[in-house]
Amino acid sequence: MADYEVVVIGAGNGGLTAACGLAQKGIRTLLLERHNVPGGCATSFRRGRFEFEVALHQLSGLGSKDKPGPLYSVLDRLGVVEELEWIAMDNLYRLAVPGKIDITLKADRESVIATLSEYFPTEKDNISAFFDLVYKFAIEFISTFREEKPTPENYPVYFKYALRNTQQVLDEYFTDPLLKQTISVYWGYIGVPPRSLTFADMSMLLFSYIELKPGHLKGGSQALSSAILNKFLAAGGEARFNCGVKKILVEAGRTVGVVTEDGQAISADYIVSNASTLTVYTEMIDPEHVPAEQLEILGGSTIGPSSLTLYIGLDCEPQAVGIKETTNFIGGSADADKVFNSFRQLDADDDYVLLSCYNLSDPDCSPPGTSQIAVVDLKYAEPWLELPPQQYFDKKYQAADKLLDKVETIFPGFREHIEEIEVATPLTHMRFLRTPGGAIYGFDQYAKDSNMFVSPHSLIKGLYFAGAWAGSGGFQPTLTSGFTAARQIVKDIRAKAEVRA
Amino acid sequence: MKKSQRQLIEGYQAIEKELEICRKYGIDYSSRRGQWMAAVERLHPRRLKLKVAAIISETADASTLRLVAAEGYLPPFQAGQYINLLVDIDGIRTGRPYSISSPPSQTAYYDLTVRRVPNGFVSDYLLDRVKPGDLLDSTGPAGHLYYNPLFHGRDLVFLAGGSGITPFASMIRDVTDRCLNRRIHLIYGCRTPDEAIFNAEFLNRAKIFDNFTYDLVISDPNDNCQGLSGLLDAELIKARVGDVLSKTFYLCGPQAMYEFCVPELNKLNILRRRIRQEIFGTPARITQEAGWPQEVSEEAVFSVKLSSGREIPARACEPLLISLERAGIVVENCCRSGECSLCRVKMLSGRVYQTENTLLRKSDKNAGYIHSCAAYPLSDLEILL
Repeated sequence: MADYEVVVIGAGNGGLTAACGLAQKGIRTLLLERHNVPGGCATSFRRGRFEFEVALHQLSGLGSKDKPGPLYSVLDRLGVVEELEWIAMDNLYRLAVPGKIDITLKADRESVIATLSEYFPTEKDNISAFFDLVYKFAIEFISTFREEKPTPENYPVYFKYALRNTQQVLDEYFTDPLLKQTISVYWGYIGVPPRSLTFADMSMLLFSYIELKPGHLKGGSQALSSAILNKFLAAGGEARFNCGVKKILVEAGRTVGVVTEDGQAISADYIVSNASTLTVYTEMIDPEHVPAEQLEILGGSTIGPSSLTLYIGLDCEPQAVGIKETTNFIGGSADADKVFNSFRQLDADDDYVLLSCYNLSDPDCSPPGTSQIAVVDLKYAEPWLELPPQQYFDKKYQAADKLLDKVETIFPGFREHIEEIEVATPLTHMRFLRTPGGAIYGFDQYAKDSNMFVSPHSLIKGLYFAGAWAGSGGFQPTLTSGFTAARQIVKDIRAKAEVRA
Repeated sequence: MKKSQRQLIEGYQAIEKELEICRKYGIDYSSRRGQWMAAVERLHPRRLKLKVAAIISETADASTLRLVAAEGYLPPFQAGQYINLLVDIDGIRTGRPYSISSPPSQTAYYDLTVRRVPNGFVSDYLLDRVKPGDLLDSTGPAGHLYYNPLFHGRDLVFLAGGSGITPFASMIRDVTDRCLNRRIHLIYGCRTPDEAIFNAEFLNRAKIFDNFTYDLVISDPNDNCQGLSGLLDAELIKARVGDVLSKTFYLCGPQAMYEFCVPELNKLNILRRRIRQEIFGTPARITQEAGWPQEVSEEAVFSVKLSSGREIPARACEPLLISLERAGIVVENCCRSGECSLCRVKMLSGRVYQTENTLLRKSDKNAGYIHSCAAYPLSDLEILL
């Protein structure tokens, strides 16, 4: 008998929900994590008197007890929903483009339409029609899950629009580029511009944020990671921290166990990897055991963006520098392709930046009279990888300086209140997340890379994946992916038990 | 949705074709094996292999160990950062953070200036037993006491006490050697003039460079002491610095210095964001600290149960990390002052005292995480390790 039925590699969002989902079904599960705390990106760190949230901005898909979203049901089944204090944000975002627009949208369909119509009166009817489409699409999409055989006749909007690119739909409905930009701001949460973003992704983001409201929680994402770990331990799961895995052992096309960094071999019937598919297939499994077809599948995808992130503590309340919303997007070129191009430059003028100030949703997230802020600018790792190490610190500050200049245009006086600031580059993300390129969403999320075209299943038996690299990035997808992997394994174990019986 | 149905979505075939082409002419990721973490290692190696190239005597009780790379190269650092020097002394693997006193522009070596701590386990070893040619391990450079151009401004005042001068030595050398556009005023508090490390060099640099001012302040002056004397109090700082409100203050020294100087800076209305400090080490006598429970005596010894079932003894007056090291258990660590969180462990049961400087997060408190380098047992413990 193997040491464990399942070994889960990595305690990020996906690894945690996988491990917890398994242990709660009575599966003997070992969770191995390189770091000393669970969470992966879903964590926090301290500087001075501040505690900084690393990754969570606007949680999607949660909803509430009365109106549960898809993520709610996953977290509820793990038993963590009731233990945590959730916060619903009333607003979607503020978009400020100096000299062009400054608009704040509420998480409410009628209000979004009214506000947009006020700013773009000539396109009033188109705005209503567009949101009718978004809602029709979303409702059809959700309904298809319950159908054995959905057809274009029953779900005409879904079958027509799911794979259409967002830009095409925006062009079909609107003329003002600024309006198109305002509506599609959330593309930054996926990382590919509207030209490459499927309408399915765009509309579900809008629908879900408007209907279920963007979420957050007291104590930030680490509170969630810690809660899931505790449920896992309470269900009899075993966890080892400071324990990286260097190898996944494969025999005759099936995983048989892992070897830890300190050289201990642990046998297991199944492996769930929260480490990236890229790392697993190119570094953790001996090359002779990796099917050529698996590498070919990998080769069809490109590594997604990382980010330049500033974690900032201000010695004043947000209002003192004019911050009134939790989520602020600061543009940026109206041409999303130019913005996308800036992802590949160390610093650029077209960057469009997300500034989150958590105090507006959770006043306790920093000491009284202060503010906790994260400024995020998506960036690919390449230009950072090409820097000689000796130039790294200077370039890092230069890039951060430029971001702060951008912030200063919308929030004058901001810089004067900085009490702590930590700059994380793609290399920083790579160091702590250990993902190729420091990617925060896994592979680039083009239509061809979605689970509709790429199966998350491995060609190696017994090997499962959880996390961004197995599907798409973000909290809701990664938390869900682990739970799904757990269910598949439980099903497989039970099927085998039945065969034996 | 089954593939038979998915295929009916408009545009499906075109994307399928695109995917086929992308795979056919795809990226050979297997050729990039190891590339990613190698890039990280160049900047942030987990371990450095160092060789003692020379030992330079600085004062009666302080020497500089000049360390070169025994393997690979020395990664860049920011002036003011430290490395955690890892040593095996009589079978015990432990470490101590030492600021790099040489400037970052000196890429051939790191200087670590070590001052003898009374009864210091590691400082005695480094000063008495280590010799040129010896090999030492360390972590990569770490720490947060460095110049941040994003908000520190160009006028800096360094308040140093005793061996707390070492990070400032690196910064002063960096700014003056490279003629950087920054002004530094160093106020260095020492008990006697003989204890002042780098005194001659600072005097010389202050003579040469307009942007560097140096004040040595002696706390225990003898009769023929000519210069400044006393403590680094508000009055002295104001008198020497002048316009204090526009400057950023960096502090480094023994714990008593922070306890004294920070209130003095507060008297001068220096904004909190203009006071930068990094704590080195833990209190000399933990039982004297505020909040230490009277019922736990300095001699108390508790038992710590590990995940393996093994139990080890742990003294109340010593950080848990040291008890683990005494038992031969290696826990990754770096700052050994409660700040960096590398030595964090989950406590399943028991109680500990943690120093005021320990940078715990809300979730740590809720989920029982402690920083073992600055956590003192107050009862038997069970930890996840």
